[in-house]
Amino acid sequence: MEDEKMISDIYAIYLREILRLWRQKVRLVTMIMMPLLWLGVIGNAFNSVMNLPTQGDFLSFLTPGILVMTMVFTATISGITTVFDREFGFLKEMLVTPIKRESILIGKMLGGVTQAVLQGILILILAIFMGVKFSGAMSIPGMFLTMFLVSIAFVSLGLAVASKITSMEGFQMVMNFMIQPMIFLSGAFYPTTFLPDWLKIMVKINPLTYGVDAMRYFAIGVNEFNIIADLLILLIFSITMILIGGHFFRKS
Amino acid sequence: MPAIEVRNLVKRFGSIVAVNGISLEIEYGEIFALLGPNGAGKTTTISILATLLKPTSGEAKINGYDVVKEAAKVRQSIGIVFQDPSLDDRLTARENLDIHGRLYHMSREERQRRIEEVLEMVELLDRADSIVKTFSGGMRRRLEIARGLMHKPKVLFLDEPTLGLDPQTRRHIWEYVEKLRDEGVTVLLTTHYMEEADYLADRIAIIDAGKIVAEGSPSELKDSVGGDIIKIKCSDAENMLKKLVSNGYDAMLVDDEIVIKAKEAEKMIPKIFAIADEEIKSITYKEPSLEDVFIHYTGKVFRDEEVDEIEASKMKWRMRR
Repeated sequence: MEDEKMISDIYAIYLREILRLWRQKVRLVTMIMMPLLWLGVIGNAFNSVMNLPTQGDFLSFLTPGILVMTMVFTATISGITTVFDREFGFLKEMLVTPIKRESILIGKMLGGVTQAVLQGILILILAIFMGVKFSGAMSIPGMFLTMFLVSIAFVSLGLAVASKITSMEGFQMVMNFMIQPMIFLSGAFYPTTFLPDWLKIMVKINPLTYGVDAMRYFAIGVNEFNIIADLLILLIFSITMILIGGHFFRKS
Repeated sequence: MPAIEVRNLVKRFGSIVAVNGISLEIEYGEIFALLGPNGAGKTTTISILATLLKPTSGEAKINGYDVVKEAAKVRQSIGIVFQDPSLDDRLTARENLDIHGRLYHMSREERQRRIEEVLEMVELLDRADSIVKTFSGGMRRRLEIARGLMHKPKVLFLDEPTLGLDPQTRRHIWEYVEKLRDEGVTVLLTTHYMEEADYLADRIAIIDAGKIVAEGSPSELKDSVGGDIIKIKCSDAENMLKKLVSNGYDAMLVDDEIVIKAKEAEKMIPKIFAIADEEIKSITYKEPSLEDVFIHYTGKVFRDEEVDEIEASKMKWRMRR
């Protein structure tokens, strides 16, 4: 009975997130435009000047990286929407209803994950049209698992940040000093084997590296690390972020 | 058992005492107003009763449930309309109500029926499927009242329900609050508009600096001041006051006006003229208003300057949205 109630509460919060997304057509358009630009313009441009001897054509190499990057952005931003809830009073409305705080948290997280995974699927479809062949082992389920782990980690990160930082300016700072370096140092855009040693260390301590590596493994069968290690590190990272996000959200 | 029972409620924020020992008893079906200037502790009190804040000390029960120990049951028993807007303005009116209903575990049929009912009541049924963003301030308020009623709460809190609305819209909201009597819901509203409390409330508690200074029905409160109110403006008010007091008049100085309480004002006025050497600029008398009640119990005017400033900034904030 209690569990049933909790599930319907989570669904109510989730439903609101999805309705909001559906109403904000600009966000939907951005979701399509961003990967179109990255894959269509950047991807194809580099494809004609870069030639990777070991890793096939560059567009196929770049696609999993862009997929992870776009999802990280989408997930983080959706976590940040709690800032708006607080500013526009809806958080208070949720807090006076009899539902548990955990239900609000889980509903919001699932809303963000849905949005990020949806974004991922859009990119996959786009990539297929551009001639990228997904040939990795366990392609589809593997990619979905990786997408889920990456997005829940960054939705939680967004929630944690949103609980601490209450302004849009602060949010910009987080994006510039946390998310962007993580993406650039994850091997999303280039193979890390050619990097100088000090950068390689930065790449290795970056949890997102393993997300990109796993995605590349499942998508095109190319990877630098062990896939089991990738997934384990990613899983630990996600759980840590969920705990941190949950902690800050409850406290705020 | 009363609907709301508050005993010796205290809330401190650091060294500031926002609520300083409030006690209240409100019966089921009553419309009760907490009247006081901004910063008097009204919103803090409501926040404690709605389980959003924990009291420093004291006890409060809603519908028989303790607000600290049985918060979940209290939340199930109450509805609240906040001072600041709290709708999701990307959703339609219907969706806002539907999600609210889901959070109170109402069944699909129940939700559908109730949405029609409450929207009908606040006359928004024709706008049910419009996005809230397109609503005016008054419409949003009405929708928030509808949402507060959606799950049939025993007690409804209205925190400054007409703050920042124009007089016409305010009247309109009053009509809906009046209708709540038919719903049988107990209403606790806060306001700093005298005429709002006077018009709506069965009983009023006047609150100042975290304390209740007077309580009763509007007419009881006015009677407690004792008769009529005479107000005099004159050139040397200080001197005039001294003379009046020494002649046994119940007079005091409020701002630059002398205020006298009188049993039969029309007979007293000629006598006042007889005493006064001072040049009397104007003299008026009237039956006491709630404002006079406030002055009577606190010895100060109901300050509106600060309030206006806060209100202005709030309104600006609302317009921005």
